[in-house]
Amino acid sequence: MSSTAPPASEEAAIAANPQKPKQSLFRATQGDAGWRVAFWFLLPSLIGFLTFFLIPGLRGLYIAFTDWNLIANSGSFIGLDNFERLLNDDPQFWNSMRVTAWYVFLNIVSQTILSVTIAVMMDRLTNSIFVRGVMLLPYLMPNVIVALLWLWMLDGNLGVVNDFLGFFGIGPVNFFTDTTNVIPTIAGINTWRHMGYTALLIFAGLQTIPKGLYEAGALDGSTEAQMFRSITIPLLRPVLALVLVLTIVGSFQVFDTVQVATGGLSGQPGGPANASRVIYLYIFQNAFNFNDMGYAAAISVVLVILLLVVTVIQMRLLRAGESDLA
Amino acid sequence: MSTDTTPKAAGKLEGAAGDDSPAPAARVGRVAAWTFLIFIIVISIFPFYWALRTGLSNNGVLLSGDGSFLPPDASLINFQRVLGLLSAEEAAEFRGTGSFDFGRALRNSIIIATCVTFFQVAFSAMAAYAFARLKFTGRDKLFNLYLAGLMVPPIFVLIPNVILIRDLNLLNTLPGVMAPFLLMTPFAVFFLRQFFLGINRSIEEAALLDGAGHGRTFFEIILPMAAPQITTLAVLTYVQSWNEYLWPLVVAGDPEVQPLTVALGVFTTQQPGTSPDWSALMAATLLAALPVLILFAFTARRLVDSIQFSGIK
Amino acid sequence: MNRMKYLRLLAVLAVLAMLATACNSRTGDDADEADGEDTAAADSGDDAEDDGGDAPAGDGATIEYWLWDANQQPFYEECATAFTDETGINIEISQFGWGDYWTNLTTSFASDTAPDVFTNHLARYPEQVESGVLLPLNDFIDGSDVDTEQYFAGLAELWVVPEGDRFGLPKDFDTVALVLNTDALEEAGLSTEDAANLDWNPDDGGSFGEFIAQLSVDGNGNTGTSPDFDPSNVTQYGFGIEGPFGAFGQTTFSGFAVSNGYQALNENPFGDQANFDSPELHATIQWFADNIEAGFITPIEDVESLGGTTLFQNGTAATMTNGSWMINTLTGDETEVPVEFAPLPEGPTGESRSMFNGLADSITQSAEDPEAAWQWVEYLASTACQDVIGEAAVVFPAIPSSAEIAQNAHESNGVDVSAFTSYVENDTTFLFPITDSASQIEDIVGPVMQQILRGEVSAADGLGGVADQVNSILGS
Repeated sequence: MSSTAPPASEEAAIAANPQKPKQSLFRATQGDAGWRVAFWFLLPSLIGFLTFFLIPGLRGLYIAFTDWNLIANSGSFIGLDNFERLLNDDPQFWNSMRVTAWYVFLNIVSQTILSVTIAVMMDRLTNSIFVRGVMLLPYLMPNVIVALLWLWMLDGNLGVVNDFLGFFGIGPVNFFTDTTNVIPTIAGINTWRHMGYTALLIFAGLQTIPKGLYEAGALDGSTEAQMFRSITIPLLRPVLALVLVLTIVGSFQVFDTVQVATGGLSGQPGGPANASRVIYLYIFQNAFNFNDMGYAAAISVVLVILLLVVTVIQMRLLRAGESDLA
Repeated sequence: MSTDTTPKAAGKLEGAAGDDSPAPAARVGRVAAWTFLIFIIVISIFPFYWALRTGLSNNGVLLSGDGSFLPPDASLINFQRVLGLLSAEEAAEFRGTGSFDFGRALRNSIIIATCVTFFQVAFSAMAAYAFARLKFTGRDKLFNLYLAGLMVPPIFVLIPNVILIRDLNLLNTLPGVMAPFLLMTPFAVFFLRQFFLGINRSIEEAALLDGAGHGRTFFEIILPMAAPQITTLAVLTYVQSWNEYLWPLVVAGDPEVQPLTVALGVFTTQQPGTSPDWSALMAATLLAALPVLILFAFTARRLVDSIQFSGIK
Repeated sequence: MNRMKYLRLLAVLAVLAMLATACNSRTGDDADEADGEDTAAADSGDDAEDDGGDAPAGDGATIEYWLWDANQQPFYEECATAFTDETGINIEISQFGWGDYWTNLTTSFASDTAPDVFTNHLARYPEQVESGVLLPLNDFIDGSDVDTEQYFAGLAELWVVPEGDRFGLPKDFDTVALVLNTDALEEAGLSTEDAANLDWNPDDGGSFGEFIAQLSVDGNGNTGTSPDFDPSNVTQYGFGIEGPFGAFGQTTFSGFAVSNGYQALNENPFGDQANFDSPELHATIQWFADNIEAGFITPIEDVESLGGTTLFQNGTAATMTNGSWMINTLTGDETEVPVEFAPLPEGPTGESRSMFNGLADSITQSAEDPEAAWQWVEYLASTACQDVIGEAAVVFPAIPSSAEIAQNAHESNGVDVSAFTSYVENDTTFLFPITDSASQIEDIVGPVMQQILRGEVSAADGLGGVADQVNSILGS
């Protein structure tokens, strides 16, 4: 059995960090103290970066080629077996990819449309910090809390939303316990949480558009809709592209809401019938429920590659969307 | 809720013509737009109200499905229950609610968020200063490497980090829950570097000429000048560590060190086969949201502005 | 400069807080466990009510013991106190809800902070054995006078792996029976006797099918036997499902399927083939799905959101199946619904069958003092403790004489639990299916069951579709 943990964990982390840049290698550039000074400024963050980002990243890559498991804390190198398994005989992996893609799609569409609408409204109507603040409120809440709030409100039997729908003779709708409803429900919840935040980003972009353009447009007799199409959208493209990058990368990584709100009572999260088992959850379950760290790491490698591809494509879009307020 | 739907004419819609009354069509548009905005605001707030209403009612009433707008039989008992303020015999009525020790989880959340915020911001600020102001070989390469860290999804390093924390013997300890966020995050370094780059160099240079070292310059000039931005980052970091779920879920199995987010999640699954203790759960949920709400009340303007700023740059 | 001082002060404070909490957070070995004693840092004023605060240090070993059932905890505390008086070994009990008990255990194994002894489950222990985290008990048993024959037949053998190592000593057993809301029965002109003499088959449901139809009522007051019965507007279902079916349906379909001639594994424990392609199973599950559609059984969506027990207790389901560990929850003073029990209906095989499951206590490899841990396990598995548990009537102890105490205790509370014990007397129990890869099988079959009960796929197609997959996992 181990001795008690050292009281200050940083010391352990420092001790565990094998690399210190050799200062002699870095000659000071002219007129500056160079690494001699920078080293001390960078030391803590370097340790953090190496210990919790760089080395784990490489280690994660290695684990993907092993059959590591957490309880026994051991594993051996098995080459490409994990990848073969997920590509060829794991329908559940493909299911989680499908579920994730569906979720990402729904989330992007609903969030973008809502946020742009809200931002344009705010831009036209009010600059009040109260309005902007209230919209930001959901975004500041932990996902867990958001999930619980909506789990309660959307409950098939007791939820207020179903009371409300019942008032109009609809329902009761099983939001979380129906295979077709569960992903749209989760997408809706996360849209609720993010819409104010995203609207603020877009609002900031709108503020940079010179008002003179609209005035000129109005003089030309353009309608609101025409101006929105010909002025707002083109000038907003960089901000929109940024928002899309954030939203897509974020929605690929949805986890908390699914983990807390799905599966019903004593069911596995990701239910019903795996209809909401997103890729993040599947990685998590492989690592910690099925005790198959190696396989989980392999799936996360695939996810990283996927995200890289998405990001690169979007960076292209970003560049393509550079707008000049000429 | 009564809301005054007559906006002060912000004068944004009307063009240069400066007309006194907008065209009827525009007025209809405005009313529709305001209605939409108010609807969004209500939707943003309503769940919190509903949680409050639920927390003030008792489970029996909830199960009978009373959908009234106000709590049917308001009492603070659930809040007292969650906060452990009930006497033993009062508490005995609520058998089977599981062991949810709100005070303990709150304490853990506060410790984790406070420590993480303080160290992460301090160390990231130091790194940001080096990247913004010092010249050294490989500076930009290193900075880009940091930026690449932004691209790595947390789940990818989660597994190796769990093994690392395990090897350091820190699983199920508070330092273990804090460790990955304690020294830096790429975002924090990036965020502050942007600001430091924008600070006027002349004051610094004067100080450096006077023989002050970089350390003193950093502490006495840069930090005070960047205080608003550092505060902003601190608030963002605090909120983020307060909201963190996946990492503590994995490394803090022991209730002794679980933060609120994890403890709340666990509380829902206490008794298989029976529905969650909704009124207590909602009371706990609101209480858990409270610190962030308070923080927000004091820093709303700054937060809103900083988020808008990150949108423009 | 003021700011500097302020920052320094903050830094010092933060470091102090870190130190204090680092010392306060549990590490693997708690020889000087000061759990719940707050340090000066961040004193929240109320802490876990661990009763380890007054544990005398150095007086004998301390055994950390975990369990998940909050209802049983007080009585195991009683056992622990008696045990400590007898041996000088301290027992520290922690309870975690079922929802996070196993994840928590996994993390604790990984971090070497596992308890010395914990309550174990048949579905979980094979995987733990495979990971090498459990201590075989054979040598301890050989060196003691424990008689593994003293338990109900079959219970002790469940904890022996094919290689012959034993990993647990039984402490209780459980069976499944019908739970009846007697008010609802009376309303329909039925009695508990009627319920105790039902037969069931998957084709037309037998008299049990008739029984639950009689108990189903729609919004217009029509019962399920009327042609006007409206399945989309049911106010009372005749029969309720306890929870998601999962792969083996302990509290839900297992008794029905086995009484229809189904067997989960080719041999139990540790069979290398599961029978998910069995027509007897398909017919059983299909019968449930069809009756959900007919409005006689609670829809699975409601069960998942509210819980089967809740649906029974709020009058939505007139009857249900449930495990014997729930007897007190169901008959407690605070429940609105008057409850009686009946055995499960007789199936086509002519018998009323129930799954027979038992918990046991296991010792972990990381136990610091295995000898002391063994003494505790031995105590838990002996009449000394099981009589206490029986007296409290929370569960049925694994030793027949103690189980009798439990039955009498229930009876003196005015609760007739003979329905649960009848299977043992008539020898119609069947054992909980034990396999190496329970969690994987659960992951494959559970979702399919959910789809079948939602009417999205037929039982034959759904289960037939995964049978091979399960067998390839078991065979490997």
